[in-house]
Amino acid sequence: MAFEALLAEYEARRAKALAGGGAEKYAKRKAAGMWNARERIAYLTDEGSFIESGLFGSSGVYPEQADETPTDGKLAGFAKINGRDICLVVNDFTVKGASTSATNSKKIAHMKRTATERGMPLVLIGESTGARLPDAMGSRGMGLLLGNDNTQFRRTREIPMAAAAFGPSFGSSTWLMCQSDFAVMQKGATMAVSSPRLVSMALGEKVDAEDLGGWRLHAEITGLADQVVDREEEALDAIKKFLSYLPSHHMEAPPDAPVPAGSGAEMDKVFDLLPESRTQVYDMKRIIRCIVDKDTLFEMKPRFGKSAVTALARLGGKSVGIVANNPLHRGGALDADACRKIVDFLVLCDSFNVPIVMLVDTPGFQIGTEAEKAGAPGKIMNFMNAVTLLTVPRLSVIVRKSYGRAYVCMGGGRHSDEVAAWPTAEVSFMSPEFATRIVHGVGPGEPGFEQAFADICKDSDVWGLAAVYAAQAVIRPHETRDYLIRMLDVYRLRITKGVGQHLMRTWPTSY
Amino acid sequence: MAKIEIKSEITGTVWQVKAQPGDRVEAGDALVVIESMKMEIPVLTEDGGTVLEIRVKEKDPVAEGQVVAVIEG
Repeated sequence: MAFEALLAEYEARRAKALAGGGAEKYAKRKAAGMWNARERIAYLTDEGSFIESGLFGSSGVYPEQADETPTDGKLAGFAKINGRDICLVVNDFTVKGASTSATNSKKIAHMKRTATERGMPLVLIGESTGARLPDAMGSRGMGLLLGNDNTQFRRTREIPMAAAAFGPSFGSSTWLMCQSDFAVMQKGATMAVSSPRLVSMALGEKVDAEDLGGWRLHAEITGLADQVVDREEEALDAIKKFLSYLPSHHMEAPPDAPVPAGSGAEMDKVFDLLPESRTQVYDMKRIIRCIVDKDTLFEMKPRFGKSAVTALARLGGKSVGIVANNPLHRGGALDADACRKIVDFLVLCDSFNVPIVMLVDTPGFQIGTEAEKAGAPGKIMNFMNAVTLLTVPRLSVIVRKSYGRAYVCMGGGRHSDEVAAWPTAEVSFMSPEFATRIVHGVGPGEPGFEQAFADICKDSDVWGLAAVYAAQAVIRPHETRDYLIRMLDVYRLRITKGVGQHLMRTWPTSY
Repeated sequence: MAKIEIKSEITGTVWQVKAQPGDRVEAGDALVVIESMKMEIPVLTEDGGTVLEIRVKEKDPVAEGQVVAVIEG
């Protein structure tokens, strides 16, 4: 055969590319309990569905480095997750720390462009040292490698983006986590602008990777990580689950799923989860779990802005975005972080045609010096603005308290398609204890307080809201699930086949 | 094992202290209850562990972000 030599070369090149950074590095990772890039792809995607794009790529800056840069350190291609097409980029840390250079940047750009133009989610699995040096050094390096694609970091949310960070995830891995609609971090991973080593050299600041950009920082303080997991497979499972709630692109409705057996079985107990005393708190997540389809609650940023709960879920097999106050934290008072978290979630839901269900129990926005220092008024107005820009169906259920400006942000008035209230709902400009003092000038223990307090409480009950049609329904708590399923059907976007207007599609991915 | 500081999310007054040094706690347990905005608001631990210190007592004023307990978990 004439082509034997050529085919032999093909096989040799292919084997070399598939071997990544080599057996020794793979063995080291295995010993440390870490998967290599191809193992991650195998776990993430449907068996046999991955078709690689760019297997024979290598350094585009230094041809003499071809041997040491198989795939140029980032694997790209097409695959399926649960039968649905995706585009993906998975970093191979064994090749020059998966650092970013010319060829692998072209791969990322091609995947993003194809995903966007053809309507497929983009999945990005990060683990990287950052920009490759010396490739990007000097004015020539900068001119060659950076900024030549002005869509590289443009987010217009035509398609869902989901990202994971494993190990050190500096540079592009950090940027892409921040740009994604869902970012999951394994404990032990680091996301930061630069490494502890550079921080030490430049600032003389001794800091370890965990303090500089570890999971606790991003789960609790910055809110940049949507979920944190212990193991790699949990991160990849989370990405699969996240994508299951969303359409493949913004011009279709999310896919339906079968309703799990046992859904709604706890509804007769839902009212028991509310404490009798209005001064006591409870965990709203228990109420949410009763209402939504069994085991479908997928919470975003659970350790951040905890007085709010934002979660994808299903109701009657259809994707919904739950936005709720959680009295267990801050009594349900919404601080700047909670506002950020909610807005982030509203943008996600509206961009991908996921209806919103709000469950309300808040004494209002957090007040006090700490709140003001965090820029609360600005965050509150972002929240207010986002609520007015929603174009997906949105329902609101007032479980207990709904006070002040937060009443409006949580869907009060015409900021929901339909407002329902439990009989326990209380709505006013401010909590009755403080209103009594301000309106009547009497405090607890002073003559006339008890009567004045009782009058103000009565004025705040649900019947006033229902009388003026600001609540369209007062419902029995155990009927909440059925009511919501019915109303989501009533308000579905028939004319556009479930597709909203995406007025927030260019909203920043963090702010 | 790491030392984890448990901070109050909110400004208020300590209403109850619910854990003592040496106690074993689980994620989601309340260590202290703060009275704020006329509500009883628990300070919860996100992690399981052993209580090393409780830094407040009943009726103490507490500021948002103040460390009220330290656990090892």
